[in-house]
Amino acid sequence: MAIIITVVVLLLIVSGVQILKIAELRAISQGEKIYEVSEKEGKSQAILMLVFLVAFMGFFVWQIASWGGLLLPVSASEHGVGLDNLMNVTLFMIIPVFIITHILLFWFAFKYAYSSKRKAVYFAHSNKLELIWTVVPSLALTVLILYGLSNWNTIMKPINQEEEHVLIELVGQQFSWGARYAGEDGKLGRADVNYIEGVNFMGVDASDENSNDDVVVKGEFHIPVNVPVQFVMRSIDIIHSAYMPHFRAQMNCVPGLKTQFNFTPTITTKEMKEITQNDEFEYVLLCNKICGAAHYNMQMNIVVDSKEDYEKWLAEQKTFAE
Amino acid sequence: MSTHHHHHEDFLFKYIFSTDHKMISKQFLITGFLMGFIGMVMSTLFRLQLGWPGESFWLVDALMGSWAEDGVMAPDKYLSLVTMHGTIMVFFLLTAGLSGTFSNLLIPLQIGARDMASGFLNMLSYWFFFVSSVIMLISLGVEGGAASAGWTIYPPLSALPQAIPGSGLGMTLWLVSMAIFIVSSLLGSLNYIVTILNLRTKGMSMTRLPLTIWAFLLTAIIGVLSFPVLLSAALLLVFDRSFGTSFFLSDIYIGGQVLEHSGGSPILFEHLFWFLGHPEVYIVLLPALGITSEIISTMSRKPIFGYRAMIGSMLAIAFLSFIVWGHHMFVTGMNPFLGAVFTFTTLLIAIPSAVKVFNYLTTLWKGNIVYSPAALFSIGLVSTFISGGVTGLVLGDSALDINVHDTYFVVGHFHIVMGLSAIFGMFAGVYHWFPKLFGRMMNNKLGNVHFWITIVSAYGVFFPMHFLGLAGVPRRYYTNSNFPLFDNMVDINELVSTFAIIAAVGQLLFMFNFIYSALRGPKAPMNPWRANSLEWTAPVEHIHGNWYGDIPEVHRWAYDYSKVDESGEYIGGEDFIPQTVPLAENEHDGGGH
Amino acid sequence: MTTITVDNINSRAELKRKTAKPLLWIGIMSIVMFFGGWTSAVIVSKGSISDWLSIHLPNAFYVSSVIIVLSSIFFHLGYLAIKKDQKKTLFIFVLLTLLSGFGFVISQYLGWKTLYENGIVATGSSSTNASSYLYLITFFHVLHLLAGLISLIVVSVKSKKERYSSSNFLGVELSLIYWHFLGALWIYLFIFLKYIA
Repeated sequence: MAIIITVVVLLLIVSGVQILKIAELRAISQGEKIYEVSEKEGKSQAILMLVFLVAFMGFFVWQIASWGGLLLPVSASEHGVGLDNLMNVTLFMIIPVFIITHILLFWFAFKYAYSSKRKAVYFAHSNKLELIWTVVPSLALTVLILYGLSNWNTIMKPINQEEEHVLIELVGQQFSWGARYAGEDGKLGRADVNYIEGVNFMGVDASDENSNDDVVVKGEFHIPVNVPVQFVMRSIDIIHSAYMPHFRAQMNCVPGLKTQFNFTPTITTKEMKEITQNDEFEYVLLCNKICGAAHYNMQMNIVVDSKEDYEKWLAEQKTFAE
Repeated sequence: MSTHHHHHEDFLFKYIFSTDHKMISKQFLITGFLMGFIGMVMSTLFRLQLGWPGESFWLVDALMGSWAEDGVMAPDKYLSLVTMHGTIMVFFLLTAGLSGTFSNLLIPLQIGARDMASGFLNMLSYWFFFVSSVIMLISLGVEGGAASAGWTIYPPLSALPQAIPGSGLGMTLWLVSMAIFIVSSLLGSLNYIVTILNLRTKGMSMTRLPLTIWAFLLTAIIGVLSFPVLLSAALLLVFDRSFGTSFFLSDIYIGGQVLEHSGGSPILFEHLFWFLGHPEVYIVLLPALGITSEIISTMSRKPIFGYRAMIGSMLAIAFLSFIVWGHHMFVTGMNPFLGAVFTFTTLLIAIPSAVKVFNYLTTLWKGNIVYSPAALFSIGLVSTFISGGVTGLVLGDSALDINVHDTYFVVGHFHIVMGLSAIFGMFAGVYHWFPKLFGRMMNNKLGNVHFWITIVSAYGVFFPMHFLGLAGVPRRYYTNSNFPLFDNMVDINELVSTFAIIAAVGQLLFMFNFIYSALRGPKAPMNPWRANSLEWTAPVEHIHGNWYGDIPEVHRWAYDYSKVDESGEYIGGEDFIPQTVPLAENEHDGGGH
Repeated sequence: MTTITVDNINSRAELKRKTAKPLLWIGIMSIVMFFGGWTSAVIVSKGSISDWLSIHLPNAFYVSSVIIVLSSIFFHLGYLAIKKDQKKTLFIFVLLTLLSGFGFVISQYLGWKTLYENGIVATGSSSTNASSYLYLITFFHVLHLLAGLISLIVVSVKSKKERYSSSNFLGVELSLIYWHFLGALWIYLFIFLKYIA
């Protein structure tokens, strides 16, 4: 195999050199300056510019048509709806900019190809034009920044501890996830890598009273619909990132640090199966920060239940003390 | 005997330990391209895995040996490839290769200097770069494999060999290589700045400098201010890895035991890294923008539109680049207020970028565009700068970033806006200044074909990635097949990989053209593109000191193309007026309006 | 190779005169950024650690500060002397500077020794971030100072040979700028380590 490829490559190079030489010699014998771009050649490049514009825009539309349906389904969390709107507004601004500037670019490239009959226009500056394209983007950006930041502040607002909510700790490790529920007392027991031993993979401190009613699960965790969920993220080894795309939620899990994210799920797994018309559909938590060889397989299923189902499920789980 | 000896010495100092900026430029170019070629082959290998996960490939088997049993690469070696691809492309090809080549070639020639401020430092700069390249390549072959923690080498992954084998000797060599690389870059930048500020020829005021020089100047300033910070971060990492300190490490349980490290913060590393890392994006991008500003003006036979606005926008970009690094860290649990500040500063960059794009468009408008391959690639750059730039508005927005952070949306975005734009700028530069580099011309027809293959396949590779990202596909996954969620992404990945292979094969055409033309191409005339700037007044053959006789004086800016008098005839009878031509009576200088 | 007319820019001395100082200044800027990276790292680390251990700087570091200020004064006096063409005076002052430079290094070493004897170590399990930073920053300052010492040795040899004069003292000036910078850098680091870290 290697020999065949070497021979083929060598032959290609040799014939390439010969062809180039012949082409150049011919051009020289006809008195052309071969590095100069002839008008005819320029015109054909100009036409290709136009062809490319059409093909590129066609490719863009084709992608939307054929892959638009593969994107994430409707947001399954409360803040996600606002975030999707923000995304739509942003796309609504940038796609026209993308299309219009490309049409201008390639149209000019086509129209103003070299012609010896024409003179280029000496047009070096115009304060008015430059002012326009400083001010207009600034205005558009002001809108985007304000709208974006109002969303950001909503998402980052800490949960009101008085109101009903579920407190869950997500712990990342190479290459799996664990979840710990605060239990009846609503408090998570102390945890530290020094307590890790055997089945206690999260390092929960058994001597802390708050730990006793904590519930630790692996493989899958449940959350109730329409109840705010407060996540506390932790990692015991490498930086991981808890990414829950359907809920438009992501937060890094950093060793030695506790991070937080909260959202309110609005669509149960069952409902989402109907929405996506996919019986197999599952919400998923995946790792989104490079964390080692099996990074690509670090996942945990999320099940959004009705409140009753959720409580029933939680009651079936063993507490830490058990 | 003695003549032979003399000849030998000549060779050594002319080609190897040369202090001549033109030779050093060629050294940077060739080393950079070789590294770039290796980086490209790596990308082809991992695209094979991503397009057809788990399938055996002869090429993978042949190139990766024990890293890929039966032609299927191991998951951690996939990460090695990704890491090294990123490192090589960002630093070795697009930082040293691009800046090193064109800053060295063009700064003395375009400002009218005999050579760099210090030829010796300049030579050192290249040789440090060379040594760091060699070490980086050696690291590919060591036990445990090359660095595998991503090009951003976040600890603890990069600090602990227990976490991934590549974080052993491979990572050590990566750090050594980068430390040397940083020294090389600093030596180069020092030289560029001082040369531009102090060695301009008579009449070459700052507002008569070609935009290339402005771009190189700002790039060098950014480099001098940001690379030392990366060095300081890398040193802390070295101490954590090898000497038992805990700057970045804390509370870690790995391999069945608790590590002794306590009190450190990985987030600190991210701050230090991105304080370099973000300016680095502009270190890569600005030279490309400078090169294309020059080429677009020359080849459309029109002055660059808004020369001062172009400088102003580069200054704004350079300044902003230092206060936006936090947008890489929106989901690290940073203070939400800080997140808001970084969103604000980040989105501001869109304004100078928009100014640049519209100025390019206006320059083309009513021009008379000569389609050399350089002109094609320059127009390609404008396109990629737009298509990659607009998605920056999504990623720079802290709220939107939550759901696309570290997905393929990011990969698509930065490959187009930074990778493609910079490499298009580099190709444009090579085609345009090849006659200055090698005294010969490249073949235009092959260049045209190369451009079309490249732009079509590059968009074919990176555009679909936005869709993957919006579907939630994370980057740096060895395969997506473990998630039912991503089952219907197979087609997209196959398409992307197919285009990646086409793109790679297309570059062979460039390599062929490059080597053939350097050796056998037709001899170049002094000013083949009929351009204004000073380098085209220098003799084609390389002489020490650049000009026979006195250095030419400069009387006008570099963009007097198609300038006509009241009767509508070209001033001077040609559609270009070199910078050395004195201003006519009552003629205004374009730069100093 | 064809001969080239030698004009101003082509002469090496002229080139050096024009570019040596800016090269040095920009180099100094990058060293500032290097230490700036570390001192900001200290601030970030301190902010994220609840039990940040403040370390009492050893007395030797106070002595070092005095020495380095003195050395800068010596060197500056030497510089003023050569401007007036007093070649012997220059040599004496450069020698004094060099000696105090070595004194600074010794004093720093004594400082580290005191720290070490008080159980404050740079690495390992009994080290803290505060102690690691302290050693690292002071140590890298000394590393940069070594380059300054080498330049001082060169300058002292050359001044002994009376190579400098009132019309040719660029080498002295370059070495002086760098030495002043090292002094200023140390004072900054000292204040930073004492009051902020």
